[in-house]
Amino acid sequence: MSAGSAKASLGNDQVTLKVEGLKKYFPVHRGFLQRVSGWVKAVDGVDFEVLQGKTLGLVGESGCGKSTVARLILRLLEPDGGRVIYRGSDITRLSEKEMKPLRKEMQIVFQDPFGSLNPRMTVGQSIEEGLRILGMPRPQRKERTRELLEMVGISGSNADRYPHEFSGGQRQRIGVARALSVEPSLIICDEPISALDVSIQAQIINLLEDLREQLGLSYIFISHDLNVVSYLSDRVAVMYLGHIMEYASADELFENPLHPYTLALLSAVPVAKPGQDVEIKSLGGDVPSPLDPPPGCKFQGRGPLVEERCRLEEVDFWEPGGGHQVRCWKVGEG
Amino acid sequence: MKANKLDSDSDIQRRFRWTGPFLEGWSIFKQSLLGRIGLTLLILFAVMALCSFIPPWIDPMYNPMTGVDPDISTTTGPSWRHWLGTDFMGRDILSQLMAGARVAFMVGVSAAVMSVFLGTSIGMAAGYMGGFVDTLLMRLAEMIMVMPTLLVVLILSSVFGQLNIWTIVVIIALFRWPGVSRIIRGQTLSLKQRSFVEAAKVAGASHVGIIIRHILPNVLPLAFLFMTFRVTSAIIIEAALAFLGFGDPSTVSWGMMLQWVWKTGHMFTAPYWLLPPGICISLITLSFYMLGRAMDEVLDPRLRKEDQAG
Repeated sequence: MSAGSAKASLGNDQVTLKVEGLKKYFPVHRGFLQRVSGWVKAVDGVDFEVLQGKTLGLVGESGCGKSTVARLILRLLEPDGGRVIYRGSDITRLSEKEMKPLRKEMQIVFQDPFGSLNPRMTVGQSIEEGLRILGMPRPQRKERTRELLEMVGISGSNADRYPHEFSGGQRQRIGVARALSVEPSLIICDEPISALDVSIQAQIINLLEDLREQLGLSYIFISHDLNVVSYLSDRVAVMYLGHIMEYASADELFENPLHPYTLALLSAVPVAKPGQDVEIKSLGGDVPSPLDPPPGCKFQGRGPLVEERCRLEEVDFWEPGGGHQVRCWKVGEG
Repeated sequence: MKANKLDSDSDIQRRFRWTGPFLEGWSIFKQSLLGRIGLTLLILFAVMALCSFIPPWIDPMYNPMTGVDPDISTTTGPSWRHWLGTDFMGRDILSQLMAGARVAFMVGVSAAVMSVFLGTSIGMAAGYMGGFVDTLLMRLAEMIMVMPTLLVVLILSSVFGQLNIWTIVVIIALFRWPGVSRIIRGQTLSLKQRSFVEAAKVAGASHVGIIIRHILPNVLPLAFLFMTFRVTSAIIIEAALAFLGFGDPSTVSWGMMLQWVWKTGHMFTAPYWLLPPGICISLITLSFYMLGRAMDEVLDPRLRKEDQAG
């Protein structure tokens, strides 16, 4: 098929997905007349790119807009600004109808393994839904569902069972099988392991890695766990209050973290050797309300190096080279 | 032993997959005393309704509407010929009571089905579409909800004269959907947020497809639950209308029987005539209510007792 040959002809550094200045503001209604009294800037100008066959990690604490980014890319939410470019074509303004053929290119694996499968459908029906919509005949669909289940390590004979008969880890595998069904080239993993037991987390991560190698997939891997992200990702973007604070290759980010927020996240990762003294750079202050963020750097009031300038100026990226970007002028000036 | 039972249960489920949820629900339903009483009573009433054709078939004088005992021209107490006695013109009360059961089921079930159908579709539409459509439909629902159904039917029947029984059913349905639609809307709103609906969107499903395949199967149990409560209210409204003299004069309903008792001045002189329809109305509404309560328990795990939850 044409899609297959296109995949094959792409070089290693082909950009699968590019996001430019992506914005999403949610209106806040107040009062008797429900007037818009303010905007929550959930995503406020986010840029990154995902390369063919690579993984982009998206890290940040809860509420920083990670999942909103995922939903904007998939057009489950309409962006208020910026562009989403898939394989060179802008898909931000496509109508639902024009979006339909692109649906099979981008899929998602959800966080909650209990809410992500319809309890009134067999897992087979859930997995084959995308194929049914694409018009694949029934016998082929059944065959493919079996294959997919086997691929994620569940016996194909389980296709006629209902979700409540499976454990959380198995359901997450089924979620992965559903995402794979339409042969996408990009899968967004929205905290796919944070609802699972630690022992099962590793299984899912290994599964995702194997599948990436087998099928040449690209991932956007969203998590609040820097450890997991570092293991899976080629590049990492650290998000805070709707902004990307630091953007670098995974190795670079760990060897040479620059932004105080990244440093704090890294120091919060538990160390394998107990007894070893680690300086935990816990942050002061609270996350400011996204409804009415302070002017200047979004991270002011939490970082260790705050000065007058942080409160006044909107900070731009500083690039120390090697594709590393940091949104902190203090770091830039030394 | 318990494990054994579970094994055979899952065995049945594997063979008839679609019955799985039903059997599971039934095993919880069985344990509810209310549910068992309600269901037993309902079966009795159903048998009564089904057998209502037998008396007129035995003898035309047992016809509930037109059959008059040639020897009796006034109300009489129970006898071998008329087990529950006769009414003011010598018609058999037992056969009227049985015909009344048929009318009660007819009115109750058809009004409930119609109002739940309306309420479910409107609730799903409002919840799924949101925005302007939601506001419009819900304000309409509130407007209808505050109108007293009985009063509206009284006004309509005084404007249009005697109302046909089916007209009454339709009016009851038209005025009883808002409660259902509010509940279904709430359920739809929460389902819409669930990841499986987002997954369906990402798979390219259309809105209609999502409503039919993902929302509807998940709100249907709740809709069925409401149906039992709606049956109760429809029967009561019909009985009240008939008692007040606004019923369909060509049908024998329990409310109609009560009206005849009252109109002919036998309220306190003929208990054999007054009590049966009164008790039947109370019991049938009570049994539908008990059935609904037991179904509520099946659908809402929080209402179950500890030992049933596992």
